[in-house]
Amino acid sequence: MVTAGTVAAPYILPTGRMFARTNAPKAEYVVMVMFAGGVRQQESVLQRYLDDSQEVTGAAGNIMPNLFTGIAPDRKIVYGTDPGGGATRGSEPIPRILSQSMEDTGTVFKEMSAISAGHYVGLNTLITGSLGTAQGLKTRPKYPTIFEYLRKHAGFAALDTWFIANGLGNSTPLLNSSKNADYGLQYGGNMFAAPYTFGGVGREILGNGKPYSRAELEPMYFMKNFLDQSFGLSVDQLETIKNTDEEKTKIKEFIRAVFQRQDQGLIPRPPVSDNGDAVTISYAAEVLRHFKPKFLTLNMSAVDGCHSNFTGYLRSLHRADHSVGWLWNYIQNNIPEMSGKTIMIIAPECGRNLNPNPILDENDWYAYDHSDANAMRVWSVMVGKNVPKMTVGSENNKVGKLTDIVPTIADIFGVYDEVKASPYLDPQSKSLFLRM
Amino acid sequence: MHSSGKIIPVIFSAFLLFSGCTKEKNVSYGVNDKVVYEDKSLKTKRKSDAEYISILYTNLYQVPISPTRLYKTQNVVYSIGDRNVANEMVLSNYFNTSTLKIPKDSEMRADVAAFVEKCYKRFFLRYPSEGEKTFFINYINSNPNVSVEMVYTAFSVSDEYQYY
Repeated sequence: MVTAGTVAAPYILPTGRMFARTNAPKAEYVVMVMFAGGVRQQESVLQRYLDDSQEVTGAAGNIMPNLFTGIAPDRKIVYGTDPGGGATRGSEPIPRILSQSMEDTGTVFKEMSAISAGHYVGLNTLITGSLGTAQGLKTRPKYPTIFEYLRKHAGFAALDTWFIANGLGNSTPLLNSSKNADYGLQYGGNMFAAPYTFGGVGREILGNGKPYSRAELEPMYFMKNFLDQSFGLSVDQLETIKNTDEEKTKIKEFIRAVFQRQDQGLIPRPPVSDNGDAVTISYAAEVLRHFKPKFLTLNMSAVDGCHSNFTGYLRSLHRADHSVGWLWNYIQNNIPEMSGKTIMIIAPECGRNLNPNPILDENDWYAYDHSDANAMRVWSVMVGKNVPKMTVGSENNKVGKLTDIVPTIADIFGVYDEVKASPYLDPQSKSLFLRM
Repeated sequence: MHSSGKIIPVIFSAFLLFSGCTKEKNVSYGVNDKVVYEDKSLKTKRKSDAEYISILYTNLYQVPISPTRLYKTQNVVYSIGDRNVANEMVLSNYFNTSTLKIPKDSEMRADVAAFVEKCYKRFFLRYPSEGEKTFFINYINSNPNVSVEMVYTAFSVSDEYQYY
C-alpha cells in the first residue's frame, strides 16, 4: 500500500540466474528481534503492570516506553535500576531512549496468535513461518528458515544473513538453518552465540589466533579445496553452513576485531546493560555495524525468569525494551548505510499464562509459566522504512499470527510470491502488510 | 572278586596315563605382512565435535587435550554458525603456541614426497593416490612460501579429516 506504483526490477542472482522480484521491495535491511522469552500481553502491550498479575489495583502502566506509548505506573516501581541510598530496589525506571515510541512511529499488531505456548516451537515459528508443532529439541528446524528463503530466492550471500543467538541451550544455535532437502545448510545464515563467541571462554580459545595475511590464507584454502574436491562431500552430508573463502576470512577478521575493540572499550552497549540480553544485543550491533547484513535476527530470553521470579521478569522486560530501543537508535545514528533503510520487526515467540504458579518472589508476587491459552496471545511491532503509523487489532480482535513474520520479511525484500509458494510455509500465513 | 577289584583301577590309571600324556602337536601360525590404512570411500561417519577437537589436539601436540579445555573448545566451536570458520580459528590459536609438535619447513623441503605421504598418513590414515601426491609435490615445490603450517592447516580443516 505504501509502495504502490513502484516497479519490480529484475536483478541477477550470484549464481548468474536472472531473477525477477515478485514485488517491489519495501526496505533494504530487516532486523528481527525474537523478544524475549515468553511475554504476557498483560504486562507488555496491555500495560497493566501489577493490575492483572498480582491483584494490586491502581498499579497499571507502561513499562516498555521505547516500544509502546503510555504512561508509566506510579505505584510499586521495582523494574528500573537501583538508586541506592536505601531506596526501593529497582525504583528508578530507565529513561526512554527513543524520542518517540515505536508505536508512535510504526505499526503495532496488538493481538496476534502464537502457534505454540512453548519457546522452541515459537522460535521455529518465527524463523520458518511453518506450523512446526512437531519440532524436536536439539535439532535443526524441520522446515526451511527465513535465512534459506532469502539466500535461495533473493540471492543473498551468507554474510547478508545473520542470527545472533543468546546462548547454546537447546535448539538455539541450530536455528540458522534447516537441513531441508530443497534448501538446507548451503543456504543457511551465519550465526554467533554471542555470549560464548565473544565472552571469556571465546577469548581464551580464539583470542590468540594468528592473523594470517590474505597471501598466507590463499595457499591454505587452495590446498584445502583440492583435498575437499578429492573427498567429494555431497550436499546432504553438509553439517555446517557454507561461506566462501573470502567470507570466512572476513568473519575471522571480525572476530579478531571484536576482541581488539573489547580491549579498547569500544563495544557499544545499551546504557543499562546488566543482563545477558544486553550483551547479545551489543554484539548484534557490532555485526550490523561491521557487515551491514541485509537481514539479521537476534534472540533474547531474560524474561523467561518469570517461571520463578516475577519481579525479575518485570526488570528483564523493561530492559529488553531499553535494549531494543537502544539498538534501533544505534542503527539510525551510527550505521549510515542502514539508517532510514531498515525495518525492525519485534515479536515474542510465545506469551505466558493467565494464572500464576505458586512461586513467590522477593515482593511476594507470583510467578508465571507458559502453557495455557493466554500463552498463545502475542503482539508484534514493526517500525522503519515504509511502515505506516498504525494500530492493527485489539484485545478482542486478533489479527495475524507469528507465522506471518517470515512472509512479511519476504514481502519487504520483494520475494513474497516465491516464498509464499513454499510448501513448508503455514498456508494461512501472509504478509503483515496485507493484514493492515 | 577281591583281585578284580584291584585290577580295574590299575587298568583305568594306565589308560589315563597314556591317553592324558599324549604330546601336543606344536602348531605355529604366521601373519602375512599387510599394511592397513583407511579407504577414503569408506569414511562415512562424521566425527563429533569432541572427537574432532581431541583428535586434532592430540595430533598436533602429541598429548591429549584436557577435559576442561575440550569442553570450552566445543562450546566456542558450537557458538559459531560456520563450523569451518570456528575450526580454522581454533587451529590458528594452536599454531600460535610453542609446544606444537610439527616438522620444520626445512624438513619438508628436504623430502617433499615423504612429507606428503606422512601428511596423508598422519591426518587421513591412508596413503595418497598418485594424483594427490603429484599435486602436493608440485604445489609445494613451485610455491616456496608454502609452509608446514599451511599444509597442516589445509589437512586439519579439510572435509576428509572430519570423517572416519
